[in-house]
Amino acid sequence: MSAAKRVQQWATFARTWHIFDCKWQDPYLSANVIKKYLMGMHKPIYHPMNDCGDVVVCINSRDIALRGDDWRQRAYFHHTGYPGGASWTLAWEVHNKDPTMIIKKAVYRSMKGNLQRRHTMQRMLIYPGEEVPEDIMQNVTNQIRQLRPVPTRLDHIPEDEVKKYPKVMEYPEDYVLK
Amino acid sequence: MSNSHLFMKSGFVRAPLQNGVGRYVPQLQRIVLKFCKTHGGSRGIRDFIEQDLVEFAKQNPSVVVYLKPRRHRSPVAVAEYLNGDRVWMSLHQKSHSEITKWIEVLRTQQGDVSATRLRKYQFTDHPSIQGPWTPFTFKDPELNVAQLPDPKFGANDRLPMTATDKLRIMFEKQKISEDNVKTGE
Amino acid sequence: MVFLTIANLIRCRGPDEFWRKRKIFRLAAHYIGRRRNCYSVAVRNVHHALVYATKARRLKKQDMKDLWDTRISAACEQHNITAFSMREGLERSNILLDRKSLSDLAAWEPKTFQCLAAVASRKLHLDGFIDGTDQKAPTGKNLNLDNVILDDWLKEKK
Repeated sequence: MSAAKRVQQWATFARTWHIFDCKWQDPYLSANVIKKYLMGMHKPIYHPMNDCGDVVVCINSRDIALRGDDWRQRAYFHHTGYPGGASWTLAWEVHNKDPTMIIKKAVYRSMKGNLQRRHTMQRMLIYPGEEVPEDIMQNVTNQIRQLRPVPTRLDHIPEDEVKKYPKVMEYPEDYVLK
Repeated sequence: MSNSHLFMKSGFVRAPLQNGVGRYVPQLQRIVLKFCKTHGGSRGIRDFIEQDLVEFAKQNPSVVVYLKPRRHRSPVAVAEYLNGDRVWMSLHQKSHSEITKWIEVLRTQQGDVSATRLRKYQFTDHPSIQGPWTPFTFKDPELNVAQLPDPKFGANDRLPMTATDKLRIMFEKQKISEDNVKTGE
Repeated sequence: MVFLTIANLIRCRGPDEFWRKRKIFRLAAHYIGRRRNCYSVAVRNVHHALVYATKARRLKKQDMKDLWDTRISAACEQHNITAFSMREGLERSNILLDRKSLSDLAAWEPKTFQCLAAVASRKLHLDGFIDGTDQKAPTGKNLNLDNVILDDWLKEKK
C-alpha cells in the first residue's frame, strides 16, 4: 500500500473520543445512543469485524435520572458464583455504593450479548462527577448531544434575563404576596 | 462461507503490473504442443501445425513454441505463463477451428484463470473521487477550538420550540416601541 | 437349488467404491482428526457442510442487506434524516438507487450522499410529508437546500 493510501486509511478508521454529559438523562435511552458510538454504528464504514468503535467518556453519572419510581423499585441482580450467592440490590443502594454502575449496566444491557460486548464496554469510561483525568480529557474531540433538556433552576437564571423577560400578566392592586 | 473450505485460490480481477494500461506484455511464456503423427485424434492439431503455427509464431515473437511428436499419445497443449502457472489442456479429438480458438485463449490468458475464484467481479484503482468518508468529513469545525463539555454542543437542538420561546417571539412581534415595555423587574 | 449368485454378491461391495469415497475425502481434507480419514465420520460432516453452504447462500444475501441498511442509516443520521424518509424522498424524486449503491456512495462519495439526502428531504418538504418514525435524535446537521431549479425539477411529474 502506498504512503498516501495508508494515511487515507488512518484517517478513515480514526478513533474519535466522545464526551457525554449524563446530567438529568435517562440511562436506558441514552444507552441506545452511547452504544451506537461504542460499536461504530454511527459510521458508514461499519462492519462487526472492523474494530471501528469509538471511545465514549461519560461525566456526571451521579446526576443520572431514572424514570418514575425506579430508584425505589428497580433491583439489580448479582450472583457471586458460590451457592447462596444470589442478591437483589435496589437502584439507590447500587448508586450509593458506585455511582457509575447504573449507566454501565444500562449500556451493557442495550448491547447484543455476543463476545464483542465486553471488549466494546472497555472503550467506555465513566466518571461520577465533572472531573476527568487530564490525559483522557486531551483526547476528547466531540460531544454527544443529550436527549432530554436539562432544566435550569428558577433561581439559577441570570438576572438580566429575568429583567428583560416581558411581563405576561400583572398582579391586581390589592393582591397580597405571601 | 469462509475461504478455508475452498480449494481454489481466491483473487481479485487484477492485471500484473497494470498490463494494458501502458504497454501490453503477452503473459504467455512458452507453449508445448504434444501430438501423434498418425493417430486420428491429433488430426486437428496436425492441421493447425501445418497451416497456422508459423504465422502464430511470427505474430507472437515473445512466445516460445515447442513441438513434441510422441507416438501413441493423445494430443496435449501445456502453456506456461510469466507468473509461473502451468495450464494443461487436452486437444484430443478437437477440430482445427476449435484448436485455433483454444490456442487464442491460452495466448491471451494471464495464468491459470480457472483455478482462481474471483472475490469480486469489478476492480478499480480509484474507488473514490471525492475522497472516502472520514470522521472529519461532516464535523463542525467549531469543535476544534471548543472547550468540551460545552452546552452549545451538548444540548439537544432538535427539540420543538418551548412555550417560553414562543411567548418571547409573540412579544417581540407585537412590540410597538422600545420604551413602553413591561418587564419582569 | 443352490443360489451361488447371492453369496457372491455379499462379498463384492462395488468396483468404484474407492472413487466414490475419494469424492468425499477431497472435500474433507482440511478437517481435524477422524473426520479427515474415516469415511463414515467424514461423510456425515461433509453432508452437514454442504447443507450449511446451501442454506448460507440465502443468509449471505440477508446479511449483506442488513449491513447496507446499517451503513445507510448511519450516514442518514449524520444529515438529520431517517433512512425511511430518505428512501421515500428518493423514490418520489424518481432516483431509484438500491441499498448497495447508496451504501457505497455513503462510504466512498460522502458529499454525493449528502446531496441525495438534501434532495430527498426537499422533496418531502414540498410534498408536506411528515415522518412519524423520526425520533428527532440530535445526531447530525440539518440540510437546507433552497434551489429554484431543483424545486422545478422535483415538482415535475415523474
